[in-house]
Amino acid sequence: MNNILKFKNKKTDVAAQDEIYNFAYLDENTKRMIRRALIKALCIPGYQVPFSSREMPMPYGWGTGGVQVTSSCLTTDDVIKVIDQGADDTTNAVSIRNFFKKTANIETTEKTSQASIIQTRHRIPEEKLKEKQILVYQVPIPEPLAFLEPRYQETKKMHALSEYGIMHVKLYEDITKNGHIETAYAYPVKTNERYIMDPSPIPKFDNPKMNNNPAIQLFGAGREQRIYAIPPYTEVTSLDFEDYPFDPSKAPHKCSICGSNESFLDEIITDDDGNRSFICSDTNYCNQRMENN
Amino acid sequence: MQPILSVHNLNKYYGNQVGCKNMNLTLYPGEVVGVVGESGSGKTTFINSISGNLIPDSGKILIETGNETIDFLEISESLKRLLIRTELAFVHQNPRDGLRLDISAGGNISERLMSIGQRNYGNIRQTIFKWLDKVEIDKSRVDDFPRTFSGGMLQRLQIAKNLVTSPKIIFMDEPTGGLDVSVQAKILDLLRKLVRELNLSVVIVSHDLAVIRLLADKIIVMKNGEAVESGLCDQVLDDPQHSYTQLLVSSVLQV
Repeated sequence: MNNILKFKNKKTDVAAQDEIYNFAYLDENTKRMIRRALIKALCIPGYQVPFSSREMPMPYGWGTGGVQVTSSCLTTDDVIKVIDQGADDTTNAVSIRNFFKKTANIETTEKTSQASIIQTRHRIPEEKLKEKQILVYQVPIPEPLAFLEPRYQETKKMHALSEYGIMHVKLYEDITKNGHIETAYAYPVKTNERYIMDPSPIPKFDNPKMNNNPAIQLFGAGREQRIYAIPPYTEVTSLDFEDYPFDPSKAPHKCSICGSNESFLDEIITDDDGNRSFICSDTNYCNQRMENN
Repeated sequence: MQPILSVHNLNKYYGNQVGCKNMNLTLYPGEVVGVVGESGSGKTTFINSISGNLIPDSGKILIETGNETIDFLEISESLKRLLIRTELAFVHQNPRDGLRLDISAGGNISERLMSIGQRNYGNIRQTIFKWLDKVEIDKSRVDDFPRTFSGGMLQRLQIAKNLVTSPKIIFMDEPTGGLDVSVQAKILDLLRKLVRELNLSVVIVSHDLAVIRLLADKIIVMKNGEAVESGLCDQVLDDPQHSYTQLLVSSVLQV
């Protein structure tokens, strides 16, 4: 099968692709259905649009939602980058990148600035995104109220009527228990002053990057069958209290490879004596800095 | 004086079964109306229908907010729910129905405050302490989970949770049901104090005539989904006219 899938030339091989897989795996009707959901999602920033998620050739929890969204957005001219926790070279990132290389025969890159579509699991790249770029998030649980109100019908009503008191109860509990807001990832945000949204499990460090971002941000949850989106230049605010304002927070260290003081860091235990070192979670950002120095 | 709540010809059926039929009620500010009757007489259906928990089949419910009269059954869902969490309060018989058990006592009290837009942790905390004090729960229990509370404390917590936004009308469905007699007495004492102090307008449902006699100014006696007798509490209980009310009054245990 691999032989048949080795395309020589994008344009002439469209016919050949059709016999095996459609371009970018999903069939055109499915892509159309997903694009409709995406457009609706972009029109109502932060609103969760149901879509009929397809069975993908990967387990739930591995980015089936993100892959379906990416697949529906891809054109033959796109350049795709896939990151997993900021890294280009982890299993999830490599396998999804290969998946699209194989089924869509498109160019891939590790450079944030060169990608037209970036599929991400749990990070926003350090490098500022530009207009005409699309950032696709893989989302495990799209409903920010899920852990507070288990009834889906009820959460739908709460969204529709902006009944968001309970969301602050969670933050209240955090402050009461820990003296500060303990939520460090999947930190709830309000989109366009209307819908409360789960930004997927990105660190709260990345939350400010969603605000007024020139790129299109799309969120796909495959198992939960929901799509939501933030259009370019949309206001995204993190929830907080007047006397306990939102704090993106950052480990008080430098990257031990590139020396960056600004990037989000991974903590790595380096030996059995409990020594630690901190390195950039965004591998491309770190590499670029090393190359430039 | 304008009634704060008036109900006209309210009907609620469950299929062919009568829930409640032709019910009327007027509640003036600062007044307590008791609804009594045996199990299955439609008390709970009635209070659920007028508080927004159930949608009645026909009738009219008017709520006076101070600057306008709201037709409760005609307003939009969003306005209705806003009213329910600001101007109205519902105290359930089982406090576990009205509380979030995996959220601390303070968190439970704070929910209504935050849902109306309070965003200052320090102020919210102060209000919580004030209310814990009012319902006689020790301040040190503020961060404990409701599941560690006794039945009586849970009920007092539920009352605090509901009253924190100073609602105009409070509905209570058997607030002392399932509690032992001494705890019942404490809750009743507390309710009576709050009603007088805060000038609350209350509709209270109970099968316990003693509770009603203690708290209510007016009374409605229900049987088979209909009001058989209504009037001033003392008058009805001391001189019952309808045979069912007579039966009810005479079956109270004399200790």
